[in-house]
Amino acid sequence: MDPKQRNILALALVVVLVGLSWWQFWPLNTKITQGLDIKGGLSVILTAAPTANETITEDAMTRVSTILTNRVNGLGVSEATVQRQGADSFLVQLPGVKDSDEALKALRSTGRLDFVPAASINTSVTLTYGVQLPEGSYEASATVITGANVTRAATSIDSRTNQPSVTLSMDSAGAKTWADFTSANVGRQVVIVLDGIVQSAPVVNSPILSGDTEISGSFTAEEAKRLAAVLQAGALPVNLTFSESRVVGPTLGQDSLRQGLLAGLVGLALVMVFMAIYYRGLGVISWFSLGFFAMIFLGVLAVLSRVGAFALSLPGIAGMVLTVGLAADSSILMFERFKEEVRMGKTFRSAARSSTKHALLTSVDADVVTLVSALMLYLIAIGPVKGFALTLMIGIVIDLTVAFLFTRPAIIMLAESVVAKKPFIFGMKGADPDA
Amino acid sequence: MRRSNIDFLGNKKWLFAISAVLIVVSIGSLAIRGLVFGIEFQGGTVMTFAAASDVTTDEMRGALEAADVPNAANATIQPTDDGGFIVRTAEGDADVANAAFGAVVTELGLSEQDINVTTIGPGWGKNITEKALYAFAASILAILAYISLRFEYKMSVTAVIALVHDVIITLGIYSLFGREFTPNTMAALLTILGYSLYDTIVVFHRIRENSQRLVKQTFQQMANDSINQVLVRSINTSLTSLIPVICLVAFGGSTLKDFAFALLIGMISGAYSSIGVASPIYALWKEREPKFQALKKKYERHAA
Repeated sequence: MDPKQRNILALALVVVLVGLSWWQFWPLNTKITQGLDIKGGLSVILTAAPTANETITEDAMTRVSTILTNRVNGLGVSEATVQRQGADSFLVQLPGVKDSDEALKALRSTGRLDFVPAASINTSVTLTYGVQLPEGSYEASATVITGANVTRAATSIDSRTNQPSVTLSMDSAGAKTWADFTSANVGRQVVIVLDGIVQSAPVVNSPILSGDTEISGSFTAEEAKRLAAVLQAGALPVNLTFSESRVVGPTLGQDSLRQGLLAGLVGLALVMVFMAIYYRGLGVISWFSLGFFAMIFLGVLAVLSRVGAFALSLPGIAGMVLTVGLAADSSILMFERFKEEVRMGKTFRSAARSSTKHALLTSVDADVVTLVSALMLYLIAIGPVKGFALTLMIGIVIDLTVAFLFTRPAIIMLAESVVAKKPFIFGMKGADPDA
Repeated sequence: MRRSNIDFLGNKKWLFAISAVLIVVSIGSLAIRGLVFGIEFQGGTVMTFAAASDVTTDEMRGALEAADVPNAANATIQPTDDGGFIVRTAEGDADVANAAFGAVVTELGLSEQDINVTTIGPGWGKNITEKALYAFAASILAILAYISLRFEYKMSVTAVIALVHDVIITLGIYSLFGREFTPNTMAALLTILGYSLYDTIVVFHRIRENSQRLVKQTFQQMANDSINQVLVRSINTSLTSLIPVICLVAFGGSTLKDFAFALLIGMISGAYSSIGVASPIYALWKEREPKFQALKKKYERHAA
């Protein structure tokens, strides 16, 4: 393939990329996920502190994660997420949550898992899984044992019925109380309640003296697994404290988004004006470079949004605005080098080839250094700063792609046709095209 | 078009003097005045009210006290340009802070839609600071390694000196202006590392290229020519990077301004240090090599 064909191929590739991007990101507001600081909602970081009898183990963190997810789902917020952050923290995001006070309370409550006799529950609701008991449905003193007494819970298969069941073991104090209770209450119903929500309501079949209890019934394997998880994880194994809590009103977030977009667009326009004034015709190439850069950038963000890997945050907007400058930089390096080589007496044709190659190498070195610091920021920092680092890295990679696939071929093709005939359009009046 | 021919390296004493003064003032201010750390570092609550233009500062303070905001007397209340308020208190418990500020909103008849409440628990700041310092150290090491591999270790060391220069000056200006230092500022500082190096790399690229065909001039003269050769692009790349940042300072909300201010200082300092700090130090260091010593003896102008 000769160089000319290669350049045309590169330009075609850019057009395809831009088209694909447009198809991905339009319309913007539905295709690019907005972060919590823009959409509004509650974002908290909960950090585990060890209790008297438990240290923070990996196992404990997994249990906390399960409990938090249960609670967050219980709040009925769509798109709520629980993410592990570092060794001992969780980031919980509740977009659009209405009552942040209520949500904060629900998140931190240590969680009460009670085994209560059905007879002690004075409400008319049906006692089946998922039913929320009204507050004060039972006296705390009616509780036979609590989640603290449960030492282990797991799923198994009932040997007689071949149905999934849940087995649990208890500590000695719990086993003793449980033995007394089950002996006296054969044939009666016990309700297992987590934070006021019924988890299961089995009937005592026979006295259980050792504490080793089997709950069987018409479970599906999934239901048995969930109940075992609740029993195992019911009460939080660790104390959670709020390391960070952000409540963002939706109006404020949208204002910030508008301000960020305005800054970005005005910045882009001013850079374009500067490029056109200083570099004339070459500046117009940079308009396309900047435009393509912006479109591909948005396309990549839309794809990342779709797979849930990106949400636009305010720091992210700052990162995007910054890359506008970065994208112009790589064009400037090429233009300056091109003009310099022409002044040194090279023909437009040969100057275009060698200068863009040189400038591209400089861009790679300078960009990689920025990329390295953005990567460190992304890997090590926590919280909103991560979004900033991510957009910066994406911007750098796209900048180099556009410089390589569009700006360089465009300069070469122009130099071989138009510049050679009309150098003044390119701010190189007086340069001798045939020198 | 005329080629610039400014004798940067001949005037390196002046360049070093400017940098030295800036560094001394910065370190002095950091030592005496210190930095104003945001609540992210020490724990506390920041509440932002938008659309509260008919509320006065006194009414706000009254509402804070009426709503039992803990330590309401010590809260700072700062009106914003767009008719809102930023209120800061030392309360580090998210439950308490949210309930109290909910009461303020009701008291003043504002909308929950228009407020932000950020609470940072005590101890979390230490965590963030540690992580940032790790990121900083890791960045510097990675940059040193990359430049050493691609260029040479003398370039990597001088480039890092220049960027430490930029970071100190940025911190110094934060201290002098009493601006709040937040995690966003820290992110901006880490970004400055990259930007500060951009111009330096552009100059070093040219110095390396020219040093391969060094004829009839000293290393310093060649370095000076190199700076002049890339001066226009250094100025222009700095300008196009600064334009969007200035737009952020002008139009962005408070979070974006936070970033942009640090970047603005860092970028200006970075553009200057690639010419005023990195290149002269590198040239001086290089000139000690025997090969360039000889050139120096032979071609040094005896004008002075």
